[in-house]
Amino acid sequence: MTTANREIREIVRDEHIMRNRILRLLEGRPSTIPEIAEGLGAPPSEVTYWVMGMRKYGYVREEKEVTDEGYYRYQAIEREIG
Amino acid sequence: MKDDALNRVKYDALVIGSGISGMESALKLGDMGYKVLVVEKEASVGGKMILLSKVFPTLDCASCISTPKMGATIHHPNLTVLTYAEVETIERQDGGFRARIKQKPRFVVETACTGCRQCEMVCKVAVPDEFNADLVSRRAAHIAFPQAVPKKAVIERQGTSRCTFNCPAGIKAHGYVALVRSGEYEKAFQLVADATPLVGSLGRACYAPCESECSRGNLEGPLSIRRLKRFVADMHYAKPRVAPETPPANGMKVAVVGSGPAGLTAAWHLARKGYEVKIFEAAPQPGGMMRLALPPYRLPIEVVEQDIANVTDIGVTIQTNSRIEDLEALKAQGFSAVLVAIGTHLGAKLRVPGEDLQGIVRATEFLRAAKLGERLEVAGKRVVVIGGGNVAIDAARTAMRLHAGSVEVLSLESLKEMPAHPWEIAEAKAEGVTFRHSCGVRDFEGDERVRSINLLRCISVLDEKGRFNPKYSDKRAGTVEGDLVVVAAGMRPDSGEFGLPINPSGTFQVDKGTLQTCIPDVFAAGDAVAGPTMITSAAGEGRRAAFMIDRWLHGQAMDVEEFERRLEMVDKEAVLARQSTYRELPAGAPREAVKLAPGEFYPDEETMTEVEALDAAARCLDCGVCSECNSCVDICPAHAIDLKMQEQEIEAEVGTVLLATGYTLFPADLKPQYGYGKFKNVITGMQMDRLLAPTRPYNAVVRPGDGKVPDSIAFILCTGSRDETLGNPMCSRICCMYSIKHNQLIMGALPLADVTVYYMDVRTPSKGYNEFYEQAKGMGANFVKGRVASISEKDNGNLLLRYEDIENGTVTETEHDMVVLAVGVRPNDEAARLFPGNDLRLDEFGWVGESNEDVNPGATNISGVFVAGAASGVKDIPDSILHAGGAAAQAAAYLERHGRPATDAAALAEKLAAEPANGGAPAASTTETGPASATGSSTAKAAGVAR
Repeated sequence: MTTANREIREIVRDEHIMRNRILRLLEGRPSTIPEIAEGLGAPPSEVTYWVMGMRKYGYVREEKEVTDEGYYRYQAIEREIG
Repeated sequence: MKDDALNRVKYDALVIGSGISGMESALKLGDMGYKVLVVEKEASVGGKMILLSKVFPTLDCASCISTPKMGATIHHPNLTVLTYAEVETIERQDGGFRARIKQKPRFVVETACTGCRQCEMVCKVAVPDEFNADLVSRRAAHIAFPQAVPKKAVIERQGTSRCTFNCPAGIKAHGYVALVRSGEYEKAFQLVADATPLVGSLGRACYAPCESECSRGNLEGPLSIRRLKRFVADMHYAKPRVAPETPPANGMKVAVVGSGPAGLTAAWHLARKGYEVKIFEAAPQPGGMMRLALPPYRLPIEVVEQDIANVTDIGVTIQTNSRIEDLEALKAQGFSAVLVAIGTHLGAKLRVPGEDLQGIVRATEFLRAAKLGERLEVAGKRVVVIGGGNVAIDAARTAMRLHAGSVEVLSLESLKEMPAHPWEIAEAKAEGVTFRHSCGVRDFEGDERVRSINLLRCISVLDEKGRFNPKYSDKRAGTVEGDLVVVAAGMRPDSGEFGLPINPSGTFQVDKGTLQTCIPDVFAAGDAVAGPTMITSAAGEGRRAAFMIDRWLHGQAMDVEEFERRLEMVDKEAVLARQSTYRELPAGAPREAVKLAPGEFYPDEETMTEVEALDAAARCLDCGVCSECNSCVDICPAHAIDLKMQEQEIEAEVGTVLLATGYTLFPADLKPQYGYGKFKNVITGMQMDRLLAPTRPYNAVVRPGDGKVPDSIAFILCTGSRDETLGNPMCSRICCMYSIKHNQLIMGALPLADVTVYYMDVRTPSKGYNEFYEQAKGMGANFVKGRVASISEKDNGNLLLRYEDIENGTVTETEHDMVVLAVGVRPNDEAARLFPGNDLRLDEFGWVGESNEDVNPGATNISGVFVAGAASGVKDIPDSILHAGGAAAQAAAYLERHGRPATDAAALAEKLAAEPANGGAPAASTTETGPASATGSSTAKAAGVAR
């Protein structure tokens, strides 16, 4: 879990560039933050920033139920990227 | 501010801060009939309370309580509210006070903005959202929070980004980098094209002054900004050309003489404004130096042609082999204005004996012949190039590619002094070019044809004023034999035919700002004015010329300031100071000196792959924050975005001042043993409030570290309060209660979660507080008396708390999913800075001091200055409101005793409404409600300024 910490400003700066990569991972397969993190090879804490930013701006939404491990799954919202 | 008088306004009272205390004081005074100016540094009123989830002990919704007061404040007929403004100084004056206020530009016209957030949705710059306690991102273009009042967007700009500021062509370099980062390559291309049609050419051959100024250059190296431009150009040109929409014609014709970067760029801009533009080009093909001088390995002809097609596609016609010598004849053809942009195609002479021998050519002629594929006798020859600039290097490398036997460059300058770029010199060396420095030509020897060059030792190139004035020693510096000599000793325009005044260098004399010649409808631009420069500089002057010609032909003022207006360049150190650490992101492989074989003219650099481009763009530090990508400008349905807004100074004369500057939260990272900032699942009380708020940053209460719903949450009270080691011995009063509030809310939101509170003692000092505490315990919150000594993190993100269990007398470790630090509060030192000479007395802990808290609360040591709410010491919300009301009464009494100043509350609003640069806010209501006659209504009267 412990990873070299990046400053928040630096993490969120990557949100735009990570967005399409995350959306590709979510194509047809809603995923938890740890699953997305594994797919990206990125720390889950950074993925939380990106996914929550994408949620805020309407790119993903959560499924209603949490997994047995206590995680929400996030799915892509179909929309025009722009 | 152009007119200082318009920025002087008078009010009865100035309230600084619009948290719950500031709003309460202002509303009370307004209800009493006093004219009040409220200044709020954030873009919305509401302070911290609006960001809370609920209030204790009633668990009423904080938003539901706050928003009516926010609305009342902004709409009260006696209140004028300046949001996104800061008081800078307050001085006593004539019995009252004079406050200097800085109105920060929103870059959004408030009266036009509908709060639709479309600008925010398309913004390309993500920054931490301070209104969500940095738990999520926001955008540079944003509305502070969903309940913001006024609900108007603001664009965060901290200056012009360095790359953009230093682009002579006026390209929004940061903007296109941000667009690439978002995968919007076509928009990136179009953004560059908004400045110049030469996207491909600049992507290949620009010397990239943007990169020299890139803040990332102080880390691993600058961004490859030019190569990103090439990437978007290559992406664009790889697609089938689409005929662009041609703008409606405005009925006027403009002639452009010369089709180099200045002429093409000017024609592009003029055509986009509806002019019928015709370019006259003396050469057989258009493009100027880009086509005729730049070697194809730097700039392939097909790229130049693609850029030129941008211009012709929108209706510009180019007539080649058409040398213009009579400007009057052009006017007779119906052209309303003429732009002369003929470049510098004449090579300068050395003026030494033997210069007219055969085998001595000017570099411009040599390069032109090579570019046009004319036969040149170079193969096997000893080529000598004279000159130290980039043109000399281009000539030398071109000669190598034409199979020269040898190529030697002779320069007046030493290697370090050479004007040519170091990488170009290195590449030339790698290709076999040799150099001889600090030597000048004494004379050429030969019969009919040059055979050798006699040299002098050059001891200095520039004089003490930095002007070109080489000095030589008397001694000869040897002789160089050569079959072909290429002289690259400077270039000048062929300017003699036009009848325009010229400088000794042959360049045209113009007004530097407007580029207008002595003949009003004749303009000149580019190298023909500035002397040999860069493509990007010439393009920038072409853009300027088009702007000025358009204004001239429309009878508008030749406003140089309007063309050049922009924010100051952001300071590099300030950019780098935003972060204390940076992840190393390699700048990409440095450009290597590649040795191309003779005859190879193919480009010496590949275009980036998409992955490389994204990685390169990801290195951008967003220096100015807003990238000026224009996405918000393009999408705003109200056309409310104005990126040229300026900061304004306002001077307010007021009778009394109320300080409602509130408090700050303890920075939790000052308790390193708790791991805040290091362990992702350790958060602060304010962050938990945000997670619990209806406008929360996440979909639920989940851990920031991995999005897991926590099963076990710990609270650590007194983090940063009652702590002598941190210089804050005071109890913060509210931490126990807000933590208990969190306990109850969490147990409601996550019924299965365990909640544990680690405390020294729990303080419940007001009505209903102890019952609230007991209720939390009854719901299952576990209170453990013990100070937590340290926290460590497990691999799964869980946290081990080591603490002394005081009641059991043991040292224990307990594991939790998440830890909330109940951080204390600290004084906000902003108020003290407002008064020059530190006249405002603070108490021993740094809070604004009250003269006598017991019998005269709210009064400070400065007569007429009062403190409201938590600025005088930590208070919960009811106490803050009570105190603020008392401070308002004090201020009213003061005004009655000392007399009210003549107010002109409407003046500021009227002035700002008349000047859209400040937001074009509607005028404040001029409704007069005298003392004791006000209704206190929150009905929507015409809004005050900055709403």
